[in-house]
Amino acid sequence: MSETLPGVGVTPLSGLGTARWYRPDERPDPESIEAAAPDTERERFSDAQAQAREEIETEREHTAERVGEEEAAVFDAHLQFLDDPQITDGVDEAIEDGAAAEAGVARAYGSAIEQFEGMEGMMAERADDMRDIRDRLLRILSGGERMDLETLPEGTVLLAERLTPSDTAQLDPERVAGFATATGGRTSHAAIFARSLGIPAVVGVGEDLLEIEDEADVAIDATNDAVIIDPDEETRERVTTSRDVEVRSEPVETADGVEIEVAANLGTTAELDGAVDQGADGIGLYRTEFLFLDRQQPPDEDEQFESYVDALEAFPDGRVVVRTLDIGGDKPIPYLDAEAEENPFLGNRGIRRSLDEDSDLFESQLRALLRTAAEGDGRLSVMFPLVSTTEELDAALDAVDAAAESLDEEGIEYERPELGVMIETPAAVMMADELASRVDFFSIGTNDLSQYVMAASRENDAVSHLHDPLHPAVLRAIRRSVDAAHDNDAWIGMCGEMAGDPSVTKLLVGLGLDELSMSAVTIPEVKAAITETDTESAGELAKRALGASTKSEVRETITDSQ
Amino acid sequence: MIERTVTIVPEDGLHARPASKFVEAANEYDSEITVAPADGDPVNAASMLAVTGLGAKSGDDVALTADGPDEEEAMEAVATVLTTPESES
Repeated sequence: MSETLPGVGVTPLSGLGTARWYRPDERPDPESIEAAAPDTERERFSDAQAQAREEIETEREHTAERVGEEEAAVFDAHLQFLDDPQITDGVDEAIEDGAAAEAGVARAYGSAIEQFEGMEGMMAERADDMRDIRDRLLRILSGGERMDLETLPEGTVLLAERLTPSDTAQLDPERVAGFATATGGRTSHAAIFARSLGIPAVVGVGEDLLEIEDEADVAIDATNDAVIIDPDEETRERVTTSRDVEVRSEPVETADGVEIEVAANLGTTAELDGAVDQGADGIGLYRTEFLFLDRQQPPDEDEQFESYVDALEAFPDGRVVVRTLDIGGDKPIPYLDAEAEENPFLGNRGIRRSLDEDSDLFESQLRALLRTAAEGDGRLSVMFPLVSTTEELDAALDAVDAAAESLDEEGIEYERPELGVMIETPAAVMMADELASRVDFFSIGTNDLSQYVMAASRENDAVSHLHDPLHPAVLRAIRRSVDAAHDNDAWIGMCGEMAGDPSVTKLLVGLGLDELSMSAVTIPEVKAAITETDTESAGELAKRALGASTKSEVRETITDSQ
Repeated sequence: MIERTVTIVPEDGLHARPASKFVEAANEYDSEITVAPADGDPVNAASMLAVTGLGAKSGDDVALTADGPDEEEAMEAVATVLTTPESES
């Protein structure tokens, strides 16, 4: 009987293989180890340091080669911390007091971890680096051979409580079918490395992961945020489709010469390299929430400016679409007063908060964005999330004017970016004409649009079959938005998961989308699908799909046309 | 022993690249170098951990001390890192 464990999929990839547990943390309590003479313990420590240095240098080299120079920099920090006087003095002191080298390491790094955990943002992540070095030293001191992650048997699904950057960087995408961890989130190092390496990965599965036994058959279905134990035939087939497609770094056209922009969705600037590597023409959705999460104070205008400029500079010939802050009761932020509410998806979120209690944050974000638009060669576009009325849009546009005016008065250089609206609510679809006449572009968020049009959450298994953009109701909403945009000389893109599904690319071209934005790893397949499509037969497919009365009819139409 | 108080110029403060350069500079000399925030205890300037642990920002004043055979040169070197904008270094 197959069993599904929900988690957080960090790469829209899937894989199937044999479970293998990685348990680097299972070793005796450092404080319980009997100490030899201080001189002996000191020598053990310095030998362990030397071996650790050698390992880190090798891993740094491999990471630079396989993942990228920017990601490899984390190991430079490790080398520096390994020899840090605060650490070595701490270890020496403990050994002098009669502790074993293990206890010395545990104490010295322990206090450094505490020190960094108390700090904000990037500095808090340093605590993870400290744990990484500490665990490496403790393993070396215990004489333990570590599992060789670089040469795991082909088809391994690696399971772990957590994976450090060093662990993840060693994984070979050719051998590893995927990994799953009990802890971790979308922005953890392991998640970022997995995206860069193109390894199917689900993190944050929780304690349930521990019940999977070595040698079990496991599917990592990151697209659907799930780990599946003993998957059935249908699941096996779904998760093993090939992903061996050529990367096209130039913009692509349909077979009959219509250019369709293919862009990447971005959470943090750490993912920019991956987007460029996969051949993205630009960024179609920059979710700015991640800049604001996991910290005690909001980022100021300058910090935001730098992140936005980084994105713009990565695509000198392309376009970067930034979505203004989309925060609600489901994503609690310590410094915002966003209370958990009964139904956060129908509550106070997105543009609603930006125009009200978060108007200060909105203002600083708009100022940072207007300043960014004056930088670099790429084009900057800004869009507002969860708009449901023309009044909201007018107020947001007024806020842009106000930000421009204040920059003007202060003599700070800025430009007006392209402005757009996300189409997520049925209200926005019904008012699409009025909205389109006020802006330069639309971008359809199909995940939210499906949820709101179908009144079905995808978190609830009982109704998740309704949460599918292939329902004719959702397709008709998309078509209506496309027509309204084009009637008003606006362009229209799509940035939901549907955009990254190559099996519906032809349908989306037929519906008239000008741009598709997706997780970077699916870009090569979607670009390939575009080049094989001609707009005339795509248009016919769209017409038939729009005329269908059921989701299964829509699916049949798509299958028939391939 | 010599002392000097400087205002941090690099935009990142004592983090990231400026902190690395500062610690590197401190490690190049034989003198003992310390750095202290306006209202805090001095820490070893040769320790990246201790230095980044200060959380010193651009515009903050910090007190530097150098003690040893090459204290003059050492002070000059570490103070220069803290008073040079990132873009010019």
